[in-house]
Amino acid sequence: MTTAESKPTRVCGRVARVAANTAICREHRAIEFTTADFPNSEPGQFVQLQCCDASEPSPRVVEWPAGGFPSLASGNNWDGRSAFLRRPFSIGDQWRDANGLTHIVIISRTVGPGTAWLERLTPGEALNATGPLGHGFRIPSDDLPLVLVGGGVGIPPLVYLARRLDELKRRDATAIFGATTRDLLPIRLLSEPATDGKPLPCAELAGSARFPAVITTDDGSLGMRGVVTDALRKWHADRGNQSRVDGVVFACGPEGMLKAVSQMTRELGLSCQLCIERKMGCGLGTCLSCVVRVRDESKAEGRRWALTCSDGPVFDREELID
Amino acid sequence: MNASETTYNDTGLETDLAGVRLCTPVLTASGTCGYGPEYADVLDYRRLGGFTTKSVTLRERPGNEPQRIVEVHAGILNAIGLANVGLRRFIDEKIPFIREMPTRVFVNVAGHSGEDYVEGAAELDKHDCIVGIELNVSCPNVSDGLMFGTDAKLLRQLVEAVRAVIKRGKLIVKLSPNVTDITETARAAVDGGAQILSLINTYAGLSIDTETWKPLLANVTGGLSGPAIRPLALYNIHRVYREVARDADIPIIGMGGIQNARHAVEFLLAGASAIAIGTALFVDPATPIKIADGLSAYLQQHGLRHVSELTGGLKLSG
Ligand SMILES: Cc1cc2nc3c(=O)[nH]c(=O)nc-3n(C[C@H](O)[C@H](O)[C@H](O)COP(=O)(O)OP(=O)(O)OC[C@H]3O[C@@H](n4cnc5c(N)ncnc54)[C@H](O)[C@@H]3O)c2cc1C
Ligand SMILES: Cc1cc2nc3c(=O)[nH]c(=O)nc-3n(C[C@H](O)[C@H](O)[C@H](O)COP(=O)(O)O)c2cc1C
Ligand code: FES
Repeated sequence: MTTAESKPTRVCGRVARVAANTAICREHRAIEFTTADFPNSEPGQFVQLQCCDASEPSPRVVEWPAGGFPSLASGNNWDGRSAFLRRPFSIGDQWRDANGLTHIVIISRTVGPGTAWLERLTPGEALNATGPLGHGFRIPSDDLPLVLVGGGVGIPPLVYLARRLDELKRRDATAIFGATTRDLLPIRLLSEPATDGKPLPCAELAGSARFPAVITTDDGSLGMRGVVTDALRKWHADRGNQSRVDGVVFACGPEGMLKAVSQMTRELGLSCQLCIERKMGCGLGTCLSCVVRVRDESKAEGRRWALTCSDGPVFDREELID
Repeated sequence: MNASETTYNDTGLETDLAGVRLCTPVLTASGTCGYGPEYADVLDYRRLGGFTTKSVTLRERPGNEPQRIVEVHAGILNAIGLANVGLRRFIDEKIPFIREMPTRVFVNVAGHSGEDYVEGAAELDKHDCIVGIELNVSCPNVSDGLMFGTDAKLLRQLVEAVRAVIKRGKLIVKLSPNVTDITETARAAVDGGAQILSLINTYAGLSIDTETWKPLLANVTGGLSGPAIRPLALYNIHRVYREVARDADIPIIGMGGIQNARHAVEFLLAGASAIAIGTALFVDPATPIKIADGLSAYLQQHGLRHVSELTGGLKLSG
């Protein structure tokens, strides 16, 4: 039990105010909110946001397209469902201002009722947040080369990590951020990225700081044509292709990308921490729904279920099975 | 039990549940609050009427494959598969914390056979920090547990067998709504020796992905909980109270979609003596405290001295 003196590491149901809600690319919005006394977070940790107006969800009226039916495609809220459970979002940035207010930024991609609700928020409106939750990235204390590999909606926690590394004045840190095409990259660039996979200080962090980054797009519309693993292989080759470069890769992105990064880092002898996503009920370790298989030699089967929300969402590559 | 640590106040909320004194009539529901440590920093146990643990089985269970949960209209479908640490580890690893919890703790027990329940209940009853055993005979996720909750004869035999080995704690039987007539299983539980009834557990449900034509849960079916089941839960409590519990003088712990104090009042009026909060904890673990505060405000506004005055107060005519 926490004693009265100990500082809380997380808060539940904190009412915050929306400070800004702006588009950063075609599909992603940056939502900044402020609240007093929000505990400090580590990059990789997340918040659980209530994404509906009342505690009692009410079905919304569905707008039918003229002369047609609402599309049944997934992500389309055709049955007018409102988000009942909270929704998890990686903390994209967090800082305390001169007045002691905590600012938190999340980057949201609209895929369903909860994220559609967030999209409509306007400055001044209330937002109910729980967090920070989970365990973040572990930054090695020795001066190893660090690579931040992010794809699409997996980029936000890495932007927060980049800012932390910038504050820590880590010299050897590079971001490799990928998207399918130019206007789907959820980060602002201060200058044009290189097309040959050379890291340039083009990625914008809060306070107009710059971070060295390689940008990849599947169609070559921005930065290097290809995927993030192509850029990771090049990063490794540029270091003389030694059979073993000590270094740590921090990865977050779609499942397929994480698998590829996992495999490549193993091949290249780099250690790797992965920030994963699972469907969550509570985010607090009680519903047991966010399970992921991890190695555990103490078990007869050599494995067990871990909870993404409280044991993760950041796991070491070697812990995870498949 | 550290009775001295329990906060008793003059809010009119102290509740006597078959001889167990609770500081408020608001409990947590099994499977939605872990074993205790999970919410220790966000739910003030001193102000919680009672805490019900996740179901414990004799042997550790890893639980189902994911997806284990899917959100539906005003609720969730879950098929966790009774994942739990098992009786041995529960006693070694969880009881030390429970012993220090400043609230009344009930342990929910599930099993594959009558012997499983009897052995589990007998072992847990030795620990005086546990004030009662709740039998989960109604989890629709695990096929082997279903029969007890839906077959009145089997249920009565099970409850008798467990009651015979419980020397100290109270015996709660948690009823499944997945039956034709819940008063039959309620009566069987009472005849078997249940001292408290809790209801309802989740409703069997299914949700389908219209793109892949596959079920959204790996287990295919799951249990529906949350606001979606509230009127159904109220209906079941209403019937069990009027047709079984009132005359037998057996208190009911009502649950199913309760989110706020107004919902709690409805459950009390339908016949519950206490209420439990499940799914709503996932959105806000402090919900039971807010409901207790709301209940005492309600008592004041309506000039009532004690929350028990609400139990069964539903007016049916005139
Ligand atoms: C630790 C963690 C961090 C996340 N960080 C971000 C982030 O920074 N930005 C962002 O835009 N999204 C993030 N997500 C995913 C985000 O939580 C979901 O997109 C959101 O819950 C969808 O809610 P909805 O109501 O809009 O859609 P829903 O109707 O709930 O679902 C629409 C689609 O989203 C998927 N989805 C729903 N819930 C989850 C979930 N809990 N986890 C993963 N996928 C889900 C569904 O499979 C479906 O395809 C994160 C998820 C986790 C677990
Ligand atoms: C994720 C989840 C897990 C549950 N696990 C259990 C369990 O292990 N044993 C049990 O008796 N009931 C379990 N339940 C049922 C709840 O205790 C409760 O009876 C039901 O959810 C209705 O209440 P609610 O609508 O407030 O959640 C579970 C419910 C949920 C949502
Ligand atoms: S989301 Fe509930 S245990 Fe992880």
